[in-house]
Amino acid sequence: MLKYLVIQLADDAVSYCHYENVTKGGQFISTENLKAAIRFGMVENLNIQFVYPKRALPVGYAEIIETIDHTKILPCDASVVYDSHIVVFNGVTEIENYKLSKEQIAILRIGRNEIDELPRIFNALNGKCARVNVVITDIDKFTDSEFDSYKATLTQLGNTVKANILAGDNTQLNLLTDRLVLKAMNNCNAGDETVTLMPNGKFYPCAGFYYDNAEEDFGDLTRGLQIKNRQLFKLDYAPICRHCDSYHCRRCAWLNRKTTLEVNTPSHEQCVVAHLERNESGRILQYIKDDFEYNTEVNIPQISYLDPFEEHKKW
Amino acid sequence: MIKNNDSSWQSNIAKTITFIVTKDCQLACKYCYLVGKNTKERMSWDVAKQAIDYILDNEYDENFNHDSVIFDFIGGEPFLEIELIDQICDYIKSELYRRNHHWFNSYRFSFSTNGINYHEEKVQRFIEKNITHLSIGITIDGTQQKHDLNRIWKGDGPERGSYDDVVRNIPLWLSQFPGGATKVTISSADIPYIKESVLHLYSLGIHEVNINCVFEDVWEEGDDKKFEEQLMELADAIIDNDLYKDYACSFYTEHMGKPMDCKLENNNWCGAGQMLAIDAAGNFYPCTRFAQYSLRDKKAWIIGNIHSGIDKNKLRPFLTLDRCTQSTQECIDCEVASGCAWCQGENYDAADTPTIYQRATAICKMHKARVRANNYYWNKLYRKLELEGEEKPAEKTFNLNC
Repeated sequence: MLKYLVIQLADDAVSYCHYENVTKGGQFISTENLKAAIRFGMVENLNIQFVYPKRALPVGYAEIIETIDHTKILPCDASVVYDSHIVVFNGVTEIENYKLSKEQIAILRIGRNEIDELPRIFNALNGKCARVNVVITDIDKFTDSEFDSYKATLTQLGNTVKANILAGDNTQLNLLTDRLVLKAMNNCNAGDETVTLMPNGKFYPCAGFYYDNAEEDFGDLTRGLQIKNRQLFKLDYAPICRHCDSYHCRRCAWLNRKTTLEVNTPSHEQCVVAHLERNESGRILQYIKDDFEYNTEVNIPQISYLDPFEEHKKW
Repeated sequence: MIKNNDSSWQSNIAKTITFIVTKDCQLACKYCYLVGKNTKERMSWDVAKQAIDYILDNEYDENFNHDSVIFDFIGGEPFLEIELIDQICDYIKSELYRRNHHWFNSYRFSFSTNGINYHEEKVQRFIEKNITHLSIGITIDGTQQKHDLNRIWKGDGPERGSYDDVVRNIPLWLSQFPGGATKVTISSADIPYIKESVLHLYSLGIHEVNINCVFEDVWEEGDDKKFEEQLMELADAIIDNDLYKDYACSFYTEHMGKPMDCKLENNNWCGAGQMLAIDAAGNFYPCTRFAQYSLRDKKAWIIGNIHSGIDKNKLRPFLTLDRCTQSTQECIDCEVASGCAWCQGENYDAADTPTIYQRATAICKMHKARVRANNYYWNKLYRKLELEGEEKPAEKTFNLNC
């Protein structure tokens, strides 16, 4: 069931996920499409998220945007300061030089080469914002030795999370704290629960699909949503994921298609990264169960694999 | 006794590796799914050698650790490139020996040919040299009328059938491969000729006829009824003349046309992804049907190449694909689901989005017609055997080629 509508206000709106923003002329959404998109969100009863570019919006856009309850997603270097809940940072340097408020959510997009900075960055942000969402932009390029390094990094991050719990702090870190409370899959769900409207007035599962091929749209504001093979965006139609309990995994349909050519099939790298995080979450959960007599129905059992694909012959 | 189709050599434990040695063919068969045939894309020795080296270098990789291997040569028409094929096969044999590879003496070379240049000296020399490790199937569609309806020479000018050019080589082929099977393809226009064509192939001495309807959306209103009638008439002819004792036709298989369970009977039909195909550019595919020359509306599904190897991520969708995830609810609920085939490549080509997870259903009414005729066949045969005091045959399995 559709729940969220993401409206990209311009072609060069900030990427807040795995895809790279490939600017296509810097076109702003027209005011007609913006109004129609808001109307679509209202009649479909969707939560609306506006994604901003670095540039200031043309005159009149802000008034239209404020006609609906919404969430703003902004680049940290946006030329105009808005009251935003979600701020996007590209790289460690950007987030180090920014003052977040306690209510804000930080999306930190980093490459593999910056992963070992994460424990220091998370320590610095600890208690200073509501949540840190880390997106590893080149997750598909992980090597076996980098998996080992990532595991070590997660252990360090896990120690911080444990210390937070001890101190009563609650800054969330998507990589480790989400799985502590999840009893079922909670993924991106682009194409199923979320669609994105691009400035050309057409729908896509997410902006990444638009940047790959704008011709493969999911309908437009005139024709309405036309999601072909929509079932493939649902968990039940994902042969690997439906057997998996890395419930926090982004399960990125765009990344899936990029790496395996199918939106319902994750790459080996996405699975291993998610399982390294899951396993560290399991250690944290065991710690709080043991030391705090924490009572929860959440369970993260020990398993022998890092990629559920390895088990597929048993299914 | 009842003649069964032989199952493919080592079908469960052999890796099939297909060399698309050429995209050229002497013929321009009307039902051919190869939409991009051409004379330019011929495999070079350099590409072939690099492909073999990659495969043999990765002997213990999960993609190549099968007990046995079938090296399959396909076109276009593979025998147009017999000199290259001979060089490839010689190199494979010498490398298997030199490396003490576990496929040494557990390999087979396989061909599906139009049979036109089967008699030529170079081809015959190759056959003689490799006869103990060789499978060759010649495609002949049945009677001259049926064969020439579709299997015509390419080129401008009046349409010219290829029957005479093929049938002259059948005796030679059967003398070398007495159990030789042929593959017959049925499209809409062929339906009236099914019965006489199968019987004609039997009369030529071919004891095994593997026959299937094309998976493409070519069927016209009423084709299913005509198809069913043809299969029932063929059933009468096979049973009334006791042909079932010595001949097999893959249309009739005992255990088909039953409902299927999504947990217990959920395997994919097609072996795409278990196989490996290599083209002239050195690209790897999950099966030949995913190469660009086989696709009408979709991009080629390339899973790697001879330089960088196989991208295992691009195989994951194939290796985790099951029957129910790709099927429509109508197919899942179908009361005659078992035995209904599909081609993963055609599914991909016909899908609304670039996916292998949308099952094409153009063949639906033809499958249902086949199930009805198949029921007729087995009911009639059992009754005959019963009246003649013979025991019911043991369970049969048939190998349906895609």
